[in-house]
Amino acid sequence: MAAAATLWSKQMRKFLANPEEMFGLMIQPILWVVLFGAGMKRMLPADMAGSEDPYVTFMLPGIVVLSALGGAIGGGSVWLTERLRGIVKGYLVAPIPRLSILMGNALSTMTKSMFQAIIVLMVGVLLGAKLNANPLGWLGGLVLVAGFGLGFSGIALAMASQTDNPGAYHAMIMVFNLPLLFLSNALYPLATMPTWMRIGSLLNPVTHTTDGLRQMMFRDPSALAGSDPLPLWLCWVAVLAFAALGMCLAYAAFRKSIN
Amino acid sequence: MNERPGNGPAIEARGLVKRYGDEVVAVDGVDLSIPTNRIYGLLGPNGAGKTTMISILTTLLEPTAGEAKVVGLDVVKQASDVRQRIGVTFQEMVLDDELTGRQVLDYHGRLYRMGKAERKARTEELLALVELVQAAERQAKTYSGGMKRRLELARALMTTPEVLFLDEPTLGLDPRTRARIWDYLRDLREEGGTTLLLTTHYMDEAEELADTVGIIDRGKLVAEGLPQELIEQMGADTIHVIGDGERDEFVEKVRTLPFVQTVDVGRTVIQIGVDSGSKRLVEIISQATGSAFTVEDIRVSKPSLGDVFLKYTGRRLRDTDGNRTQHRMPLMS
Repeated sequence: MAAAATLWSKQMRKFLANPEEMFGLMIQPILWVVLFGAGMKRMLPADMAGSEDPYVTFMLPGIVVLSALGGAIGGGSVWLTERLRGIVKGYLVAPIPRLSILMGNALSTMTKSMFQAIIVLMVGVLLGAKLNANPLGWLGGLVLVAGFGLGFSGIALAMASQTDNPGAYHAMIMVFNLPLLFLSNALYPLATMPTWMRIGSLLNPVTHTTDGLRQMMFRDPSALAGSDPLPLWLCWVAVLAFAALGMCLAYAAFRKSIN
Repeated sequence: MNERPGNGPAIEARGLVKRYGDEVVAVDGVDLSIPTNRIYGLLGPNGAGKTTMISILTTLLEPTAGEAKVVGLDVVKQASDVRQRIGVTFQEMVLDDELTGRQVLDYHGRLYRMGKAERKARTEELLALVELVQAAERQAKTYSGGMKRRLELARALMTTPEVLFLDEPTLGLDPRTRARIWDYLRDLREEGGTTLLLTTHYMDEAEELADTVGIIDRGKLVAEGLPQELIEQMGADTIHVIGDGERDEFVEKVRTLPFVQTVDVGRTVIQIGVDSGSKRLVEIISQATGSAFTVEDIRVSKPSLGDVFLKYTGRRLRDTDGNRTQHRMPLMS
């Protein structure tokens, strides 16, 4: 997989030479934390709003997941641009495995998403979100987010392989953005949802990623969750299955697009 | 140089067909055999099947039927080995233009698993060759069209390919840059070791560069040979006459002359094929004397590849693609 590493390194170099891309993708998640977080804070019952900021602590995991989603969308548009500009043809005439082309993109997308997730986390912590004291849990949380990022980059890559129109790609992919956020436990707990919504949320990998992240990385996750968290193993299984599914979709679409 | 299986031609194709759906036949039974160390020019109008040919030979497309070998390796069954041995530039600019010129070459070398020292040496050598040393640290997006093309050429040469495929290498470039690119390609031939297949729809490019020209039209290879040979096969020089008055009478008289081979009566120009243009000029003019036809303009032309093309395809090789701005017309008689 030397070729995947080369392509990864090339994407990273372009990314670092072009920080606007990263900041552009991060504006949205940061606005969520800053504005939505500040707005919601006062709506909580007084006994819940202690010294720290429980709502920001509650919502931050979901917003970190959202930023990974944004990163994945960015990765899809890198792929679409490279396809439209013929750069992919350059990869295809090179003596490298087809899969490494896809891997190079997915891995660099994931790396970028991790950058963004960490920055959003730091912003959230500055705004009063409380992490737990378990660095191993932090690491686990980041891996979980990376897995989600991989799965969603798969979906983004699959879509970017099937259209020749950047506008259509963004329209298609944006259809996912808000429903995935709203139909999940990112902004409000599963327990307070109507049943139909809870069912929908449980089918949404954002829910599992967010819940796993909350348990592994944040303090007192149940304070606002209002119910028992999902079993941690279920979060892992759901996210890993999602990652695998996304990659399969991407590979199938990729094979189709190069033939 | 790498050993190749057998000492066969660098590029070989037999009965190559590429069909899209049921209707479109982009390549329609092409046979090719290109010896090593040659420059082969595939000449044809837009849509003739040139790019499809290149795509098949560079393993980007699988043929519908027939087979093709590059340096003795099958482009379908041994695609990965073929890829290792070839260099390609595409018709459109394909550059990661957020990278600097030097990075473009370096990443290309890495992708082909060249060692670091080798990459570095080759990068500097090629930057010097295509005269981009000064610009090497700049992002490629700041380059002019000609500089980008030169960088692409350097990139294709990075891995010292045995066969180089260039699809319309000078499309849209200004004459000075074209001449420079031709120079690099000629140097490459002198150095030896590289076989070059280039497509073009410019007559002058084919005449200037190619050892062998293949004329492709509607997916078929309709003629092939050394440019000079093809032109000589045309035989006759052409005398072009523009005049006023009784053209029919003049044409009839000219037709009866023993040295006249063909007479083509166009709307304004009468084209007369003769054995030797300059020798027969006076005799042609004299046919008009005393008739109701006045010669207003007369001109002799040697046949060109353009005429060869016209003969084999019944069409002029003119760029009909209105989207592209051409800096010049293909060379026409």
